[in-house]
Amino acid sequence: MKSRYAAAKNVFLDSIDIDDYIELDSSVIAYQQLEHSIEKPLKMILLFGRPGTGKSILLNRIHEKLKHQKEIYYFDTPAANEKEFFYKLFKVLTKKKLPNNTEVNFSALIEFCQNLRGKREIVILLDEAQMYSPEMMEKIRLLSDTRAIKFVVSLHKTEDEDLIAKEHFQSRIWEVIELRNATDKDQTSYIHKKLLKKNLFEIANSIKDRDMKLIHKFTKGNYRECNKLMFTIFEICEYYDENEPSKINYSQIPKKIIEMSALKLGYIHA
Amino acid sequence: MHDMKILEDNWKKYQIKKRKPWYLFLSFLLIIILIIFLFLKNNFTLFSSVQSFLTKISNVEISNSKSVSNYSSDYTLLNGALTRLELIDKKIKNSDKSDISNDVLVDIPILEIPDESISEEVNNFNRKKIHLNIIESTSVKAYKDVEKRFYESNDIDDGLFLARSYYKKGNYKKSAYWSLQVNKLNTNVEESLLIFVKSKIKLGHKNEALGILISYIKKSNSKEAKDLLLRINNNKF
Repeated sequence: MKSRYAAAKNVFLDSIDIDDYIELDSSVIAYQQLEHSIEKPLKMILLFGRPGTGKSILLNRIHEKLKHQKEIYYFDTPAANEKEFFYKLFKVLTKKKLPNNTEVNFSALIEFCQNLRGKREIVILLDEAQMYSPEMMEKIRLLSDTRAIKFVVSLHKTEDEDLIAKEHFQSRIWEVIELRNATDKDQTSYIHKKLLKKNLFEIANSIKDRDMKLIHKFTKGNYRECNKLMFTIFEICEYYDENEPSKINYSQIPKKIIEMSALKLGYIHA
Repeated sequence: MHDMKILEDNWKKYQIKKRKPWYLFLSFLLIIILIIFLFLKNNFTLFSSVQSFLTKISNVEISNSKSVSNYSSDYTLLNGALTRLELIDKKIKNSDKSDISNDVLVDIPILEIPDESISEEVNNFNRKKIHLNIIESTSVKAYKDVEKRFYESNDIDDGLFLARSYYKKGNYKKSAYWSLQVNKLNTNVEESLLIFVKSKIKLGHKNEALGILISYIKKSNSKEAKDLLLRINNNKF
């Protein structure tokens, strides 16, 4: 018989699937802010925050929401090189594939975009933009200057990446949306909503407030870390449920298991 | 989950590590409590010994003052002399204890009390036998025992014995002191007054001694006192 914890474990598999999106107060604000920014005549919008704060899922969600209303494209994985990026861009702009053994001429592309101004308004969501080289970012900026393409650039917030942002975008007209780690309250809500979405009410109820505080302490409110920790907790619970049921309390997740999970993930050390 | 055993072991180690500061804190607290306890205990012992010492002193003082007050009516005659004696009394009390053994023996007989009479008294009372033994042994401790007994019982015989013995040994400060103690208890003991007067003369306080002796003669018309006065005046003392 399959353990009750197997389903709970899979709830926390890390994904950017729009179905897994959990609407929290903070994420609703970020979403509305981004949606509003896209409506404004901005050339570039910077979305940044530490890894695991929900940037990708936010871009994904806005893409899903607006794709039938706007010309919006989501570049989830960064192009390996300039050639590949312009190939993708060419396809988006012309809705045609680039013929084999040909390359995009950047000057021609700029000219093409300038011609599109006022006729089409294209929004490109660039995820993991920290992977792009400074030269590439400069070309993206030039493309945005045509006002035919609006870029939403998602960056990891680190010291170096802040520097890139400063160097390439600071003088441009743009808006910054910062995503932060969840508060204790938000994270509790996130975990509960995730479990309730899959009808795992009893399991959601077995995680008490003090356990939530401990989870928040270990993960510092980071959603990705939270998913990892919750997955591991339920993985251990599943093991005990199947092999040593005496060691598990179904009405409350034992603190021992939370700490064991934290040890396994390296949040704490023996 | 093949590593569950390792994970459990790690968790046990983590628990020990997590509680380590608490263990250290508790140990530290325990040590502090122990130190405070020992410190208080020692202080209490010290306090107790100081307190018992003070009680002892105050008891002696109380008994002395009681004795004095009991015989206050007898002071009318020797009031002036006794005031002066009181002042000397304190000095003698604090004088060096080694005086007993260091003082040179002066072979001066006690005029009014022949040795035979002492011997007779000794024969009559067991306590006097003890005095004789002490004289033979010349043990400082034995004198101390008699002094202690005097403070406890205010026995005039003990006081007189000490005054007499110290006078014989030439320790005039002590003989004056002990004769005064006897006089405080009973002003009618002539021997104590005479030893006191003689001790004072030996100590060079002739005027003071004469003042006391004359006052006594006026009061008692004692033949012994008159003889002593005559000898003093004739420088035959």
